[in-house]
Amino acid sequence: MPTELPLLDQAGRHAFTLLVKDSRTLIPARKPMPGEQYRFHFDMTKCIGCKCCVVACNEQNGNPAELNWRRVGELEGGVYPFTERLHLSMGCNHCLEPSCLIGCPVKAYTKDPLTGIVDHSADQCIGCQYCTWNCSYGVPQFNPERGVVGKCDMCHSRLNSGDAPACVHACPEEAITIELVNQTAWRADHKEADAPGMPSSSDSFSTTRITRPAAAEKLRRVDGGRVEVGDPHWSLIGFLVATQFAVGGFFTLWLLDLLGRQLPWWAAIVPLAVAKLALAAAPLHLGRPAFAWRAIQNWKSSWVSREVLAMSAFAGAAMAYAAALYLQLPGRTWIGAATVLMGLAGVAASARIYMVPARPSWNQWSTMIAFQLTGFVLGLRLAPAAGLTTEGWVLAAAIFASVLQISNSLAWQWRMANSSSPELRSSAGLLGTALRPLALGSLTLTALAILSIFFSPVAALLFAAAAETLRRYLFFTSAVPKSVASTFLKPGEAHS
Amino acid sequence: MKSLFRLLGFDTLRKEYAYGDDPVLGYTSIRRQAERWVRSTCGYCSVGCGMDLGVRGNQIVAVKGWDGHPVSHGKLCPKGLSEHHTLSAPDRAQHPMLRNKNGKLQRVSWPEALAALTARFRESQRRHGAHSMGVISTGQLLTEEFYALGKLIQLGFGTRNYCGNTTLCMASAVSGYKRSFGSDGPPGAYEDFRTADVTLLVGANIADNHPILCQHLDANAGGYLMVADPRVTKTAMMANLHLPLKPRSDIALLNGMAHVIIRNGLVNRDYVEKHTEGYARLRQFLLEKYPLERVAALTGLDPQTIAHAGRMFGHARRGMIAWTMGVNHSTQGAETVSAIANLSLLTGQVGHSGASPFSITGQCNAMGTREAGFTSSLPGYRKFEKKSDREELAALWRVSADRIPEARGLAYPDIIEAAVSGGIKSLWIIATNPIVSYPNQEQVKKAFRNLDFLVVQDGFHPTPTSEYADLVLPAAIWGEKEGTYTNSERRVGKANAAVKPPAEARSDFDIFFDVAATLGCKDELFPSWAGPEDAFNEWRRVSKGRLCDYSGMTYAALEAEGGLQWPYPEGTTGNAVSRLYSNGRFEFEDGKARLHTVENDPFPDGTDTRYPMILNTGRTVEHWHTRTKTSQVAILERMAPNAWLEMNPVDAKALALESHARVDIVSRRGAVRGVELRVTEITAPGQVFMPFHFFETNVNEVTHDAFDPISREPNYKQCAVRVEPAARR
Repeated sequence: MPTELPLLDQAGRHAFTLLVKDSRTLIPARKPMPGEQYRFHFDMTKCIGCKCCVVACNEQNGNPAELNWRRVGELEGGVYPFTERLHLSMGCNHCLEPSCLIGCPVKAYTKDPLTGIVDHSADQCIGCQYCTWNCSYGVPQFNPERGVVGKCDMCHSRLNSGDAPACVHACPEEAITIELVNQTAWRADHKEADAPGMPSSSDSFSTTRITRPAAAEKLRRVDGGRVEVGDPHWSLIGFLVATQFAVGGFFTLWLLDLLGRQLPWWAAIVPLAVAKLALAAAPLHLGRPAFAWRAIQNWKSSWVSREVLAMSAFAGAAMAYAAALYLQLPGRTWIGAATVLMGLAGVAASARIYMVPARPSWNQWSTMIAFQLTGFVLGLRLAPAAGLTTEGWVLAAAIFASVLQISNSLAWQWRMANSSSPELRSSAGLLGTALRPLALGSLTLTALAILSIFFSPVAALLFAAAAETLRRYLFFTSAVPKSVASTFLKPGEAHS
Repeated sequence: MKSLFRLLGFDTLRKEYAYGDDPVLGYTSIRRQAERWVRSTCGYCSVGCGMDLGVRGNQIVAVKGWDGHPVSHGKLCPKGLSEHHTLSAPDRAQHPMLRNKNGKLQRVSWPEALAALTARFRESQRRHGAHSMGVISTGQLLTEEFYALGKLIQLGFGTRNYCGNTTLCMASAVSGYKRSFGSDGPPGAYEDFRTADVTLLVGANIADNHPILCQHLDANAGGYLMVADPRVTKTAMMANLHLPLKPRSDIALLNGMAHVIIRNGLVNRDYVEKHTEGYARLRQFLLEKYPLERVAALTGLDPQTIAHAGRMFGHARRGMIAWTMGVNHSTQGAETVSAIANLSLLTGQVGHSGASPFSITGQCNAMGTREAGFTSSLPGYRKFEKKSDREELAALWRVSADRIPEARGLAYPDIIEAAVSGGIKSLWIIATNPIVSYPNQEQVKKAFRNLDFLVVQDGFHPTPTSEYADLVLPAAIWGEKEGTYTNSERRVGKANAAVKPPAEARSDFDIFFDVAATLGCKDELFPSWAGPEDAFNEWRRVSKGRLCDYSGMTYAALEAEGGLQWPYPEGTTGNAVSRLYSNGRFEFEDGKARLHTVENDPFPDGTDTRYPMILNTGRTVEHWHTRTKTSQVAILERMAPNAWLEMNPVDAKALALESHARVDIVSRRGAVRGVELRVTEITAPGQVFMPFHFFETNVNEVTHDAFDPISREPNYKQCAVRVEPAARR
């Protein structure tokens, strides 16, 4: 029978010369002092690409194979036989200005004041996944099985009890260690956080120190050929187009009201219903819809919180304005103005959500312009379609909005195609290849939305709605996020 | 209800994702917290890492490296770190399955399975002769199982045609050692990697294939590492000097280095004179036939580099040469080992610290089957052809000496060829997967179709091979059975049963035991054995006085010490590092090692205009051999989900191919289709590389079934191919 060991291991019983250091010597001997924090140090020159760290991390955290809080990427350079092959093993960079934390609407993230570790609370998380867009390094990952995000916490609790994190402990080459860093000094000079295959450390002041080889400048990531059509996020497309339509609709109503045009009692019902439906359905895109109410908590820094607040205010004001229109209350245009203002603010907040460095194709003012224009393109067509007006200037404004929208879109593509950023060029590449038929489709639909307005305002509204939906679809699917270099082979999907 | 809660956003998996403090592991996932811990040795490769298995109920929930283990020092590779997931894999073999009249595999009881096995083998032997039965085993079983199986096959069934997949792996090392030193047995120890001044790795990509060995090289401060490999492997990246030689020019390189050593007066005259035979002939051969210019032409290396490598090794106080499949997988494998041994012998770099011609083996217990297995030699490295060896063994076993064969039977490839030609009619395959691993798949499929009866005994079913079986026997695997593995440095490690095998699966040992009982030879072959430890104790007696002497070992000592290196004769204590041939006495009658003159021949399947590229094959760190186990481990599959073909940009440009394109690889024998192309500077222009693990795109559809005439090892490493854009399907 095999010997069963007592639960406590008899460490140090053997008198062999130790090859590897006790992994506890690979972490700092003392706790961080005020102004200091823990950070990872990764030595590219020691790593042999064995991926022990990846497996150890998944084991440590009981994660399914599809989630990898630590990942290993491959870099290559030079010409045979003077080829250079190196690897990047990356967990969370525990940034000085964590974009995940700043953007999180529910304050699920905290930067520990004692250790500087960026922690994530699964209990607090509502699964909005906004942090997964915000991080240039792709660190936070959504766990669909559980409905929440998770990420590397540097094995915080292990460090607290003097044990090395799982990756540090598992590495046979001692390529991963934990160090202390002075936060002020690092903020002033963080060049050592940059390496081939790593997004700029300036996005969020990554703290991971990387020891690079002499030949670093020759290295290129080997996953470069893998640019994929992104997730369309249908529920978000629906939410965005619907709320923007509602805002534009109320803008048009308010304008007609302001100009003293007679509006029937039901005039506001359509945009109000669309706005209400969109807001009611919005929590469904969360991993944990029941906790959607938490989303306003971080209004101080999260555009998601601000969007929720502004859109709620818009919906409230729109309700009041609709009632005022129904009752034909005097002075109601003031309520209308407040509605439009809240609406525009809500759309602006929506746009700001996407304007993050980690998603270069979104991180542009053209996103703001496109989102706002969608409101006008659709809203200005609603009044004629509903038979509220046939005035030429409304039609002209609607056409003008569409022309602006097309111009904005083409300018966006042109700028990306001519950018020095590989992600932007890849986005333009997607729009010119895999997504090209759809891109042409959105142009055609916009043209139809312009032409048909003279024959059938209802058709014009439908064409415009289809065009804007497709435009938003392209917005999401053409996004090429910043990322840490991955492997040549695309990581496998889940076993069925 | 639970899914509704989940849909609403309530965290239904909170308990599963919880953490807690574990007394052994520290703070970790609650899923890994064990009730008890069992010490063991890893069951994948020959490095022989020590591990602790954390068990809860009948499940291994965690593994950890054995702190302070002399081999692995608490570290494990990604396969070891996830090894426990192989046990609960969906494709574990559960029940014996017998092919019925309709040609379908159907579940049967163990007694029915055993009766069918013995009756059908006996029947076939009666009709076609005793030696028409073949057995192909593995390097994956425990030494006790190999020892029992050898007796069962050779004495019980009475067929000599018993070989292992080890012939596809390290047979060339065995033959080379026998030719140069008079016996199998790697002379060195892992410690030598730490103490050598100069280390030469030939055809050994340890960073991918034996990653836990790398820490021994890392610990060698100031050591000079040379890596001879046509590819810029991860291991080549660790080297001080990479020697990117042409495929199959390693003999030329080794001869060239020996030439430099002789020319520069760096031969250890005293050692050569006292302990070797054949120097004068070798000297003349090398000086005449392997001048630097010729070596440079053969290897593609420049003469200065070759001279530098030769002088480095010649000047080393402690010079180490280690190799793996780049050397063995060759029609000149055994001879290449001889050329390596020449270098070590010329410089006297054998048997002292940091000095060894060292074969890094493949499987966890390839060494065990070499020592105890009764395939390529009699147990205890005894020789078939030596009468006194046969008599000694017969006496130990209390059987008549004429029952011990006087020559080895057919080697693995010859068993396959005999099955094709009708000489082998029934076959028992144990823990190996030829329908992925055998070169030129068409041949092995033909062989299987010709058989009257095929038994496949494996821990997994279905496997590509078990699909062909008439009878499938479900076996326990690592973690479920007890015994010993011998690693590359001759360290015997204890593996333990931490959990019970699934359903009706049984340990290979128990299966052999019951087959012997059904056959009626149990009492003779396995007298008063109750379990593996009895087999081990008998093996200790049988190995006593031999090079691989186990007589001083006990299960308890192996467990306490993290394994012990043989020779460990009775009365030995402690766990000191040991080496063979330290006294300069080799295993030939005259005690002298043999220096061989070895010519560098081109590989047999040469390129031409139709097949212009050289295909090289190998492995990747995430997978083990034919992926029977590792394809069932989700994290390993995630990291390496499919095969790929490496091609230099020069060739890719000429073929107008880009990375991620799907290509077909066509050889004179077959084609493998739809492989993902990787355009990379890892491989040289004119060469392509593909890993062999993947059944789905199996490189062995195209590899060449040419075999080393001495070792019978296949020439996996070079064959001529052309690469085309994948045909549309």
